[in-house]
Amino acid sequence: MMLWAILAAMTGAAIFALLWPLSHGRTQGFADVADARSLYRAQLKEIDRDLARNLIGASEAEAARAEAARRLLRAASDEASPAGETEPSLRRRRASSALMLSVVPLLALLVYGLYGSPNLPDQPLTERLAKAGPQQDFAVVLARMEAHLAANPADARGWSLLAPIYLRQGRFDEAAKAFAAAARHSKPDTDLLAGLGEARILEAGGVVTADAREALAEAVKLDPKNARARYYLAMAKEQDGDGDGALSALQQLLADASPDAEWAGAVRARIEKMQGDAGRRAVAALPEGERQQAIKGMVDGLAARLAEGGGTVMEWSRLIRARSVLGEKAAALQAVKTARERLAQDAAALAAIDALADELALKETP
Amino acid sequence: MIVEIGHYALALAFGVSIIQALVPFWGLVRQDRALASVGSSAALIAFALVALSFAALVTAYVRSDFSVGNVVANSHSAQPLIYKLTSVWGNHEGSMLLWVLILTLFGALVAISHNSLPPRLRAGALAAQGLVAVAFLAFTLFTSNPFERLSPAPAEGQDLNPILQDLGLAIHPPLLYIGYVGFSITYAFAVAALIDGRIDAMWARAVRPWTLLAWTFLTLGIAMGSYWAYYELGWGGWWFWDPVENASFMPWIAGTALIHSTVVMEKRDALKVWTILLAILTFSLSLLGTFIVRSGVLTSVHSFASDPARGVFILLILVFFVGGSLALFAWRAPLLRQGGLFAPVSRESALVVNNIFLATACATVFIGTLYPLVLEMLTGAKISVGAPFYNATFIPVMVPLLLILPLGQSLAWKRGDLLGAAQRNAMAFGLAVLAALALIAFTKGGPVLAPLGIGLGLFLVLAAGFDLAERIVPRASGWRAALSRAKGLPRSAWGAALAHAGIGLSIIGIAAQAWSTEAIAVLKPGERLASGRYTIVLESVTPRTGPNFRAEVARFQLFSGGRELAPLEGSKRIYTARNMPTTEAGIRTDGLSQAYVSLGEAQDGGVAVRLYDKPLILLIWIGSIVMAAGGVLSLSDRRFRLAVPKRAAPATAAAQPAE
Amino acid sequence: MSVAQPVRPVPANPLPTKRRMTRKQRRLGLIAAAGAVLCFAAGLVLFAMRDSIVFFYGPTEIAEKGVAPGTRMRLGGLVEAGSVQRGPDQRIGFTVTDGNNAIKVSYKGLLPDLFREGQGVVTEGVFEGAGSFRADSVLAKHDETYMPREVADALKKQGHWQPGGADAPAPAKP
Repeated sequence: MMLWAILAAMTGAAIFALLWPLSHGRTQGFADVADARSLYRAQLKEIDRDLARNLIGASEAEAARAEAARRLLRAASDEASPAGETEPSLRRRRASSALMLSVVPLLALLVYGLYGSPNLPDQPLTERLAKAGPQQDFAVVLARMEAHLAANPADARGWSLLAPIYLRQGRFDEAAKAFAAAARHSKPDTDLLAGLGEARILEAGGVVTADAREALAEAVKLDPKNARARYYLAMAKEQDGDGDGALSALQQLLADASPDAEWAGAVRARIEKMQGDAGRRAVAALPEGERQQAIKGMVDGLAARLAEGGGTVMEWSRLIRARSVLGEKAAALQAVKTARERLAQDAAALAAIDALADELALKETP
Repeated sequence: MIVEIGHYALALAFGVSIIQALVPFWGLVRQDRALASVGSSAALIAFALVALSFAALVTAYVRSDFSVGNVVANSHSAQPLIYKLTSVWGNHEGSMLLWVLILTLFGALVAISHNSLPPRLRAGALAAQGLVAVAFLAFTLFTSNPFERLSPAPAEGQDLNPILQDLGLAIHPPLLYIGYVGFSITYAFAVAALIDGRIDAMWARAVRPWTLLAWTFLTLGIAMGSYWAYYELGWGGWWFWDPVENASFMPWIAGTALIHSTVVMEKRDALKVWTILLAILTFSLSLLGTFIVRSGVLTSVHSFASDPARGVFILLILVFFVGGSLALFAWRAPLLRQGGLFAPVSRESALVVNNIFLATACATVFIGTLYPLVLEMLTGAKISVGAPFYNATFIPVMVPLLLILPLGQSLAWKRGDLLGAAQRNAMAFGLAVLAALALIAFTKGGPVLAPLGIGLGLFLVLAAGFDLAERIVPRASGWRAALSRAKGLPRSAWGAALAHAGIGLSIIGIAAQAWSTEAIAVLKPGERLASGRYTIVLESVTPRTGPNFRAEVARFQLFSGGRELAPLEGSKRIYTARNMPTTEAGIRTDGLSQAYVSLGEAQDGGVAVRLYDKPLILLIWIGSIVMAAGGVLSLSDRRFRLAVPKRAAPATAAAQPAE
Repeated sequence: MSVAQPVRPVPANPLPTKRRMTRKQRRLGLIAAAGAVLCFAAGLVLFAMRDSIVFFYGPTEIAEKGVAPGTRMRLGGLVEAGSVQRGPDQRIGFTVTDGNNAIKVSYKGLLPDLFREGQGVVTEGVFEGAGSFRADSVLAKHDETYMPREVADALKKQGHWQPGGADAPAPAKP
């Protein structure tokens, strides 16, 4: 309401100021003769000055004076006769007043109505940060934390809180810096070092870089049981080409873990994948006939596992694709059907399966 | 609420500008002074409203109001206050608002310069100016609205492009815009004069101060932009013949020609048709520049994101204003009356020659800028026109002009004495030739053109100085007489001499760049690198944290010919919000020269370093500042003062000669 | 210039009759002077067009058009991931690709801040034939999301263009 009052006042003031000269303006025509005369005088003086300074010859100065005089005469003869306060001039004023009163507010309202957001209040940052409350925007908390740390860069605890948040948000570069800052300003801490290693690896797109390895090694030195550091060190081994070493390191890690450790699943998956990769490499090395056989065996294994229940879209897709590639169309169709039943709750998954079926031209042909 | 008030104010200004374009024009046609005077109040209101709108946007930026989309896209809460301010015009929408602000500011200035303008001319000019304002307000409101809101508001902004977070940017665009938006006033005057059919010495007199004002700011803006590119881009280059640079350079050349041709028009009432055309062309080139920068038609290392809708809109504006005014010109110009006479050898003719050369030089830049675009449209081939093209075209056209410039300066009005003028400049020319020869002998084996360029620059500086001396001390009169003559010499004469000397200084600086040297190496702490006269030793590389960036700062000791200068720091910054690196060059000024260090990547335990020796480079910008100072001095000439009540004291107020 | 009015007698013409020029003569002189300067400039432009203009090509265009070795030009495309090799003395080699064809580029000097693998780049230099290019400058981009327009066009032509980076905010120089 307040806003509209202000906007109305602005409009009123603008129109009032526009109308003002119409009621107070002079009515005579444009008298330019006075200007022409003063210009003429100025030009004569100028010629005299130039003459005194040898900037113009004496006879040329005479000619220039004559030219200036001609111009003055012409200006005087050009002068239009001034219009008085006549009926048409009154009508013109009324018309232009009407134009102002209509065009200005209507256009302003139209344009503002199209693009404006009159219901949205200003939201300066300080105000938003000051607005405390449990349902506070997470990002606002983050912004406040960043502001705090910019002012107190030696606050190790703050950095150690912020770093994992960055990591989760995928801001690996900043996470690494935050972990590093936390580690720098606190006692040697194995978790921070492991976090630093992890952030550096993720920043490098999964490659265990030299500086990441350094941080991880230090973490393990402080606490030989640190699972995260050991996991990534195993990855480093794998990237070095030492697949077996990596595998055994991970198995060792799993053996040391308490069975309810939440990361155990991830490690197990990793081990399985590495074994699978190793198997695949082995399969690739087999002669043609045996390879077909081996692949079929693996696909059947997958099918058997999926048949027991569960299975993600990825796994189902893999199975369908494998069946189709192996030329087992009936089995592929069957897999599509089962997958659709299992994944019936998940619309996106269904769409993915259907798309795959289309792609592979798997249709229920009678 | 402030944001919404600002938004509404802009919409209201749109309506008011329509009134400004229509009613005074009607008054002009009907000889009704009351209607015509609406122009002045409309211009003032439009300015007040746009200023309010701009203030609202500034407030949003300063308070980091992330419910405004434009603030989110171009600012960050951690930015220092100064860059929150400059972020306002560091982006397309905000800079459009600044554009419109300056446009309406000029309208308001014309409105209050009450007594120095013939009323008919003022009414017509305000109407034309109003029309330009309508077009650009519409463009801003409909395609580039800076007040678009976001709900819910994001927690943090995306930060301003780091290379724009710099003090140079704080000043560069406003200066540049005052320059080329200022030419809208000369355009408006030209259109008004064509409509009214009265184009005479009075017109030239009214237009000159505005042209000077715009030209002065454009000079400063271009110089500032060039210095900004020099230290911020880290390449040591100061002019790239980039389309965007050319876009501001072309109006500058045309504006320079306009300043000179209005002198002839005021003095002799001659050259009218050409002057009017030039006034139209100058602003048309400004519009073309806006189109080039904002539509994305030309590839440039620094253009705004292209948006077809914006490009088409600006193209329409361009076609309307350029086409419309040229059509008006074609229709009305033949009605102009011829003015006074002057001999082939005279100051007037020299100014005509100046105009011919400047117009040609402008045309070569125009061709170089637009040819690639036309070629791509016609054949699909992509080409780039760079420095070699302009070196082969622009410079050969400018050199003869600069060579005869001092001659023209010493010629008398109406009919001059060429031999006398040549004699008067013989001493300056002789000294300059001697200096050039000495340089060639001294730097044998070096570039030959550079000493010649320095000779040319020196010639201009000396000739300007000697010309002033000649006027103050004609033939061995006493110093007392000289002092009073110096006082009596109009400011515009001082201004002209200063501007011409400024060009000379810039040319010396530019020519001296032929001797600049460059060396690259990977340095570890303690290692040294030499280039030209300078040697640096890397002291240390340390990390540093700024408000919204992190930096690796390399510190160098700097030596020149055995003496140690103040140390020098170069850095590589990473701006966290955009994760974007920038190079901050380390620059140490040594007299008029500079040692310039820029950092590359860290490698092999060292850091890649590029060191330049830039001899006399500061002269390039000092020359520009001297030119602008010449403009200011001319502008302060008593005749030009705005709002001098002319009728009250016509004799004193209008008594100063122009040159 | 353009005056439609008839020539009017000038009162008190101060110029000696010998040197007197009619308006027509003056105008002709002016036009001749302007014409001479313009011809001079036109000559310069034509000359410069032949020698100092550089064409822009993508790797595929070079392969298809049979560009002669020794041609000076601009080359644009993406820096192939993993192709950047750094030698001693600031020597750098990398491969510019548009997905279908690739050209090996050698360059000596500092790379601009935003030179990255997998990103767009424009280089200027000399094509040496046999798929290799000696660059003397690698052009800076002003923004991490900004794709040089020539590169974008070249990639679009080769069908390797994913918009997304293209409409991100580009930097401003007003």
